[in-house]
Amino acid sequence: MGSAALERRSDAVTPDPLMGAGVRPAEARARWARLPYLGRPAGITLLLLLLAFLSLYPMVMLLYGSLHSTPPGIAGTFNLDGYAGLLTVQNLQILANTIGISLIKTVLSMALAILLAWIVARTDTPARGTLEVLITLPFFIPPILTATAWAMLGNAQVGTINLAWRWITGTDSTLVDVYSYGGVIWHMMQYSTPFIFLFVVDAFRAMDPALEESSRMSGATRWQTFWRVTFALMLPVTTSAFILSFIRGMEGFESAVFFGTPVNIKVITTQIYDLITQQAQPDYQGATSFGFAAMALMFLLLVLQSRLLRRRSFTTVTGKGYSPNVIRLGGLRWVTFAICIAFFAATVALPIGQLLLSSFFQFFGFYQLDMLTLDHYRAVWANDEFWTALGNTMLLGVTGATATMVLGGIVAYVTTRTLWFGRRLINLLAWLPWMMPGMVLGIGFLWGFATLPHAIPIYGTLWALLLAYVALGTPVAVRVTSGAYQQIARDLEECSRVHGAGWWQTLGRVLVALAWPAFAVGWVLVFFGIMRELSASILLYSPGTQVLSVVMLKMWTSNRAEDVSVIGLLMVVMVLLFRWIQLRLIKTRISTL
Amino acid sequence: MTPIGRKTFLTLAASYAVARPAAAQDDAEWQKVVDAAKKEGKLTLYTASIGSPYLKAVLQAFEKKYGIRIEAFEARASEVRERVRIEQAAGRFVGDIHHNGQTATWLMQRDGNFQPHGPIPNLKNLDPTYAVDDVRVPSEVNSYGLLINRNLVKPADEPKSWLDILDPKWKGRILSDDTRALGGGSVFFVVMHDTFGKEFHEKYAAQKPIFSRDLAGNERRTARGEFPLYVPFLLSDYNQIRGLPVKPIVPAEGRPYVLFQLSILKNAPHPNAARLFINFYLEPEQQLVFANGGFNPAVKGVVEKAPEDMRALLATKPMGTTVPERQDAMMALAKEIYQ
Repeated sequence: MGSAALERRSDAVTPDPLMGAGVRPAEARARWARLPYLGRPAGITLLLLLLAFLSLYPMVMLLYGSLHSTPPGIAGTFNLDGYAGLLTVQNLQILANTIGISLIKTVLSMALAILLAWIVARTDTPARGTLEVLITLPFFIPPILTATAWAMLGNAQVGTINLAWRWITGTDSTLVDVYSYGGVIWHMMQYSTPFIFLFVVDAFRAMDPALEESSRMSGATRWQTFWRVTFALMLPVTTSAFILSFIRGMEGFESAVFFGTPVNIKVITTQIYDLITQQAQPDYQGATSFGFAAMALMFLLLVLQSRLLRRRSFTTVTGKGYSPNVIRLGGLRWVTFAICIAFFAATVALPIGQLLLSSFFQFFGFYQLDMLTLDHYRAVWANDEFWTALGNTMLLGVTGATATMVLGGIVAYVTTRTLWFGRRLINLLAWLPWMMPGMVLGIGFLWGFATLPHAIPIYGTLWALLLAYVALGTPVAVRVTSGAYQQIARDLEECSRVHGAGWWQTLGRVLVALAWPAFAVGWVLVFFGIMRELSASILLYSPGTQVLSVVMLKMWTSNRAEDVSVIGLLMVVMVLLFRWIQLRLIKTRISTL
Repeated sequence: MTPIGRKTFLTLAASYAVARPAAAQDDAEWQKVVDAAKKEGKLTLYTASIGSPYLKAVLQAFEKKYGIRIEAFEARASEVRERVRIEQAAGRFVGDIHHNGQTATWLMQRDGNFQPHGPIPNLKNLDPTYAVDDVRVPSEVNSYGLLINRNLVKPADEPKSWLDILDPKWKGRILSDDTRALGGGSVFFVVMHDTFGKEFHEKYAAQKPIFSRDLAGNERRTARGEFPLYVPFLLSDYNQIRGLPVKPIVPAEGRPYVLFQLSILKNAPHPNAARLFINFYLEPEQQLVFANGGFNPAVKGVVEKAPEDMRALLATKPMGTTVPERQDAMMALAKEIYQ
């Protein structure tokens, strides 16, 4: 079968992940007419202003920083020294290193995530609901903790894995060494695999199996069907996830600084970190220039993605009733079950087991009976700062994730389902924060908020953190919801409008109602993104508004890794709870789960 | 008692007659500062000492004694500096006291981020080793030594001199703070360079030390037996790893150190509370909190009161420290030697 769903159709509009899918001009005109006279321009203007404030404003501050010999507020001159300084052989090597590491980890993670998502969403593998929760766990654990756990498991000299290997084989050889390119990639994969998995698993669920059945009826093999129909229909979601994950890989810091720096593996973020924090005189011009160079590269990727998906339709959720069926694997289902368990064991059981164990011992990694203790739990329980930070973080997490999903949902609607003027700009603005490495963007927020007129009470309050979190989370929210919107047929919207529903009613009762599993995933992603965010938080928090990531940093730097483990475990419990509730809700809608 | 001449007696008597009212006047002046500080009721501290239980204890003691609430902003040195800089550039004068290492403080003084602290009675307590001026007040000292794994290093092999780590038997077995980055590594680089010359580092580079920037994790890695030797070890971390099979050592030549300093930020909203806080910080009782925690106190006569094992580490020769004016040149040299 020639991938019928991907045929260029005469009525196809311009679906475009960067620029947004569209609607037929006639539809757009009809909608235009139905909206209140000034409603749409006012709404678009408001949206543009909001996004400009959240993302363009800090970017402009950073651009100034990259073009000026001194940071804002200090006399200096405009020049291109920051950019000129990038053109060295060493920086080109760093760039190649960064791209190589990120590409390899994204490709491997993508393959693994698609396999796992297919197993969970489309097969009769046992305990799929539980597996789904377990597979996503690594994403939510602070990277600093898993890095510590892996440093203990996989170091060449006394790592648990190598000790076990030597004991089993009776040799002195080393099986794994996390201080290597492989170690950096492996540690990154533990975050990118569940991240991509979260994106694609719902897309698998939202697929009408009739298309696959048609392919099989037309004589295609199972593999051909998977490749030409299943995979091809998921291109918007998979390419979005790929690009997001690749960009995040380019911006990854913890894995590189833990496992790369000791063996002289340098990447863009470690270089930026050096420029800002590891020199007597922080080089903000160099760091921001590096940030913009990385951003330009990432922008090219987005253009590439938009060309890849241009003028294709990915509609799978139509007015026709359907139920995503599952493939009966027979005996093979135990093989797929084993694959999921192996992933869980390698990425969750080992490091979290290490964390759990360590939280009951006086010292991380020293398991002697006389060192058993509950002191770390007591210390966290008695830590006032922790409770204040937890309260602030929960408040910011819930309001931030909700606000971000609302904003992301609106942006995604405008960019994927309308031809409104300004939609491309809206989409671009929503993307910007994702393309700038976090530690540079944090400075942009600091500069931006601190230099606002004093009458605007943002700087030094929780608002500063909330706005930064919304800006940082919006790209994920937009990607998650636009991927889901693109799978929903337009006739459903039209049907709603024909029956007299208003624009907001249609948005809420058709689009959001059908895409809400994606909203729920997006909410969880943004919520835990907020819980983990440090780069902006450390610069924007004020006494009394500290958040969990800052408190964890304080604990970490004051040598209390065990207390950080306790908080890490608390976060794991929260994830389990959130995901359990989320999947219970999905189950009420999709009976085959 | 040695008899004194009439002239000397008269001179002393005159001095006493002048000094006595002057001291009384000083006391009265200081009492005004204390009263004004209490009236201000609040103090905002910007510190690069992140998560320190010792600093927290001192802050709580100050709050308890004077009823002045302290709000502390803790971040890494460069983050504290940038936050102060942009706030002042934007006309937001939020912070009162700045607490940071000597390099960041020197840069900020150069940039005009501080104001003079004025007379503070307890400045007289300061150890003359550490310089004080009208803006920067020494607060406590981060000192460095070596850390060995007791299971991997026999007593006879323990380094007694910093030069001992150049012995070929340690090649590839030393875990080291990165000498090319700010922090313990760069302090170690500068002090060894100034003491033993460039050759020390050429030989140390040939030892192939394993650089790491996970400072908090390095001690545990050494304790677990990944490496027998960790260079340089921050003595104030010792309390956190007591009970592990490790031993801190300060070699014969002494300990490299970094001075932490207190300064009053420009246009501080609570200047009297800031002065009172500096005075309180320099009281021997508060300095003892730091000495017990493995910091060298900035005040005379305190190390002697520290617990014996800590005293053995702290009552050692201050070997040298970084020089802010030469920091960039030194880091460039480090990058050249340790490529």
